[in-house]
This record gives sequence, structure tokens and C-alpha cells, in this order.
Amino acid sequence: MSANQELILETNGLTKRLGGKPVVNAVNLKISRGDIYGFLGPNGAGKTTTIRMLLGLAKPTSGTIRVFGKDIRKERLAILRKVGSLVEYPSYYGHLTATENLEAVRRLLGVPRSRIDEVLSIVRLTKEAKRPVKGFSLGMKQRLGIATALLGNPELLILDEPTNGLDPAGIQEIRELIKSLPQSSGVTILISSHLLSEVEQMATQVGIISKGSLIYQDGIQQLREQAKGRIRLGVSDPESAWKLLLSCGLPADWDHGKLSLTRTDNRTVAEAVARLVEHSHLVYRVEEETASLESIFLEMTGSEGSL
Amino acid sequence: MIGRVLSSEFLKIRKKLLWLLVVAGPLGVVALQAVNFGLRYDYLMKQYAADPWGGLIENVSILALPALLIGLAIVASMAAGIEHQMNAWKMTLALPVTKRHVFAGKFLLTAFLLLCSCVLLVLFTVALGFALGFGSSLPVGELLSAVFYPYLAAMPFIALQSWLSVTMANQAIPLTVGIVGMIVSTFAGSRFPDWVPYTWPQLNNEWGEPLYSVAMGVGTGIVVFLLGMAEFVRKDVK
Ligand SMILES: Nc1ncnc2c1ncn2[C@@H]1O[C@H](COP(=O)(O)OP(=O)(O)O)[C@@H](O)[C@H]1O
Ligand SMILES: [Mg+2]
Repeated sequence: MSANQELILETNGLTKRLGGKPVVNAVNLKISRGDIYGFLGPNGAGKTTTIRMLLGLAKPTSGTIRVFGKDIRKERLAILRKVGSLVEYPSYYGHLTATENLEAVRRLLGVPRSRIDEVLSIVRLTKEAKRPVKGFSLGMKQRLGIATALLGNPELLILDEPTNGLDPAGIQEIRELIKSLPQSSGVTILISSHLLSEVEQMATQVGIISKGSLIYQDGIQQLREQAKGRIRLGVSDPESAWKLLLSCGLPADWDHGKLSLTRTDNRTVAEAVARLVEHSHLVYRVEEETASLESIFLEMTGSEGSL
Repeated sequence: MIGRVLSSEFLKIRKKLLWLLVVAGPLGVVALQAVNFGLRYDYLMKQYAADPWGGLIENVSILALPALLIGLAIVASMAAGIEHQMNAWKMTLALPVTKRHVFAGKFLLTAFLLLCSCVLLVLFTVALGFALGFGSSLPVGELLSAVFYPYLAAMPFIALQSWLSVTMANQAIPLTVGIVGMIVSTFAGSRFPDWVPYTWPQLNNEWGEPLYSVAMGVGTGIVVFLLGMAEFVRKDVK
């Protein structure tokens, strides 16, 4: 965790009760400057409700929110001047063109008119700028939403499931777009998703929310470490290889099919391979299990079914 | 700040039917009177021989009142509908604007568009009067008060409809309230005591002073507006 860095956003005991039950429950988010914070959780976990509170759209039942060191209850406008956001599905005025939609927001922000062309080109909508938005595909509307969020040169960008409902090509496009942002503008990004795989490649920090509670918050690297559970060994005779490794005091596991090591440090792997070769086992493969990041996420949130 | 909100509001109603309605309302009222005077010209001219302009203004007012009361409900609903349609409230209210200004913006937009209709009503009425050959003895004060007093006296309803339309996603409810209000005011308005707001747009009160109705309308309108604003500020955004 980048603990020594300036906190851009911090919540303390953030709670929202809706219909009698806590939809967001004592959440302590910490986001530092320059982070790309992946806010993960299955559908209905409370991501959107949290984000609405961060933007002052909904009032917390209890708890505090500080953005740029300021209390949202006292300095909402000063905070929102430096925040760009896209909440749930995109909002737009269908009868207006992309340019006019941005102009409607620009008049409220008071940024120079030239900024409209800039954000249109960032999201690659320059060619479609003069078309009514109601004829746009979902991916284009989503890109327009991101353009709107970028209009005010935000220091903090809050994107709530920006790839929801898009086809794989659209998802890829949005992902590339978001990945390119921090380099080009130096923003801090909070991006929510119900799929770890979607933010895995861009996030630097991860917060996982389940049933309203934040159950994990740390660097993506730390999550990867947790996920790197085992090394798979492809060998000619797994059973006797397993017995050999155990007799050498190595943490081996055999499930009557595949042989694996449950520790992944270099020394263990090197020693295991050396012993196997020494005893004339044929070693075909030594591979790290990579897909388990998602399975860790599913295990944490207990949500295999809902995805 | 409120200037920015209004400038954004005017951009958003570009290319909307709303503008058509603003023109069609007064045009329809005057067109119906054109038919009325066209068909019964001799009869009406005899009846209003002493004051043909007064007769025309009276006839226009009779139709204009229900048109204003139903028009304000429709205009308020369409003004708020722009945000409801694609749920743009969450986008607008996550921008650095106060909820108060956003609420005031919708009310002022509605009030302004209705004011435009009133101005057009004056112009169309004058045009019809000249077309009917009533000459240049146009009673300007009488015409202006016949058009703008009811508008001001209807301020509580403009504020109420704006409030309901903004805070309710389902526009059937505010529109129903508006239609019922129009019927009540038009057909039963004179039977209520003076303190009932539905009587004010007709400008009848026991003192015979239309300005009392106007004053009560404007005062109550401001109160209703502030109540609506307080509720809008308090509520979470959908
Ligand atoms: N007005 C409401 N009353 C009661 N429960 C609600 C209300 N709005 C949302 N919820 C519940 O809050 C939970 C969290 O919703 P949400 O924040 O949208 O989750 P996410 O964005 O993570 O999918 C859901 O279980 C939903 O059913
Ligand atoms: Mg959501």
C-alpha cells in the first residue's frame, strides 16, 4: 500500500441504510494520489450506493467522507469542481448532439469551449460529434459519459462500472482508454466493477466490497501474492514424484491427477526440480497457476453463482 | 451561478416540442377567438358596440385561463422530463452546482416559458383586433392586466407543478394534479372562498381588486417554491 502518499479520498465508517438494512456498512476507503483504485464486488454489493455518497448524491446514514482533505458535507462544491464522474449507466440528452451534451455540462463547469473538442478526441468521438446521441451505440454513449467526466480537468475520476453491458470489443476499448488517462493527465481513478478480470490489468489498488462491507483493501500486487498459491508440475510419474518430494520435506500435493507445490518461492521450486531430476523423473512442465486471482475474489465474496 | 444553470437549461430545450407548445398555446386561444368573431361577427359587434376591444379581451381571457393552467402543468413536466428521461439528475447534481440552483433553474425556466406565451398572447390578440378592424383605441392597460395578472396569480401552481415534476420520476402524477387543478379552477373557482388559491387566477375577490389576487398568488407562489426547494435539497438523488 502506498501509505506514505497523500490521501485523495478517505471514508470513515461510511454507512448507508436503505429499507432498514445496511446496504453500505462501516466502509473505510483509502485512495492515494495517482492510484487506479479497482472497487470490486458482485452485483448488489453496494458499489453504486457508496459512489453516490462520495459524490454527495446520497447522504450517508453515518460516517464521514473526506475528498482532497475536505469534508463532503461542508465543501461539496469545492470538491466536485475537481471530480469527474460517471455513475451506473450513462446519462445524456438524447435529442442533443455529443457536442451539445458536453456544452450543457460545460456551461455549468465554466471551462473553456476548446475543452469540448479535446475530450471528444480523447474518447475518439470527434467524427460523431454532430450526431444526436440517441442514435449512439451503448459503447459510444459510455465514451461520451467518460468525456463528460473529463470535461472539467478532474483530479479524481470516479467511474462506476463503465464497461457494464458492453461487448468484448467495447470493453477492450474502454479499458485502453482508461489505462491511457493517468499518463496523459495525471488523474487518480476510482473504477468499480463486478469482475476482477476487468480492472486487474489497470488497477494499482484494490478494494473488495461484499454485502456492504469492505473485506479487502490493498495493492493489486499483494492480492497477486495471495493468489499465487501453487506451482503445477507436469511429470512422468506423479504419484512416486509426490512421495519423493514429501520425503525430502517439500510441500507437495497430489490430487490423483496433477502434482503441485503449495509454496512458490524460488528455492522450493529449484529444489523440487533438482530432486526430481536426480531421481530420473521426467519433468515436462513447471507452471504457476494464474487464473486463481479471480477464484480468490470469488472465494472472498462468495459469489460464484451470481456471476 | 444561477445564470450558468439557466444558460444550460436553455441549451437543453433546444429542438424540443416545448417551444412549439409555447407558441401553440396562445396561438390556439386567439385562433379560436378568430373563429368565434368570424362566425358571429355581426352579433358580437352589436353586443360589444361600445367597446369591441374590451369584448375581444374578455373572450380571449375566458379561453386563456384554462390554457394557462393546463399549459403550466405540461411545460413544467416537459422541463423536468428532460432530466428524467435518461436519468440525467445524477449527472447534473454530481457537478459543482448547488441543488438549490438546479431546482430554481427548472422553476425559472418554466416560469419564463409561460411568460413568453403570455407575451405572445398579447401580440396575437392585438393582431386579431386590428384584423377585425377594431382600430387604434386599443386599451393597453386592460389588455396587459387581463393577460399578466392571471399569470402572476397562478404562481402557486407554477411552483407546485415544477416541484412535483422535478421530484417525481413518473410524470403521470403531476400531470393529473395539473389537469384536476385546471378543471377545479375553471369550473368551480368562483364558488370557493377567496382564500382558496384556485380562485386567484380568475382575479375575483370580495374587494373587487384584482391586485389582491395577484399579491396572494405571488406570495404563496414564493412559499410553495421554497417548500419544494427544501424537499429537493433534502432528498437523495435517484
Ligand atoms: N432504495 C432502496 N431501498 C432498499 N434497498 C436498496 C435501495 N436501493 C438499493 N438497494 C439495495 O442496495 C444494495 C446495493 O446496491 P448497489 O449499491 O446498487 O450495488 P452495486 O452497485 O454494487 O451493484 C442492493 O442489494 C440493492 O437491492
Ligand atoms: Mg452498481
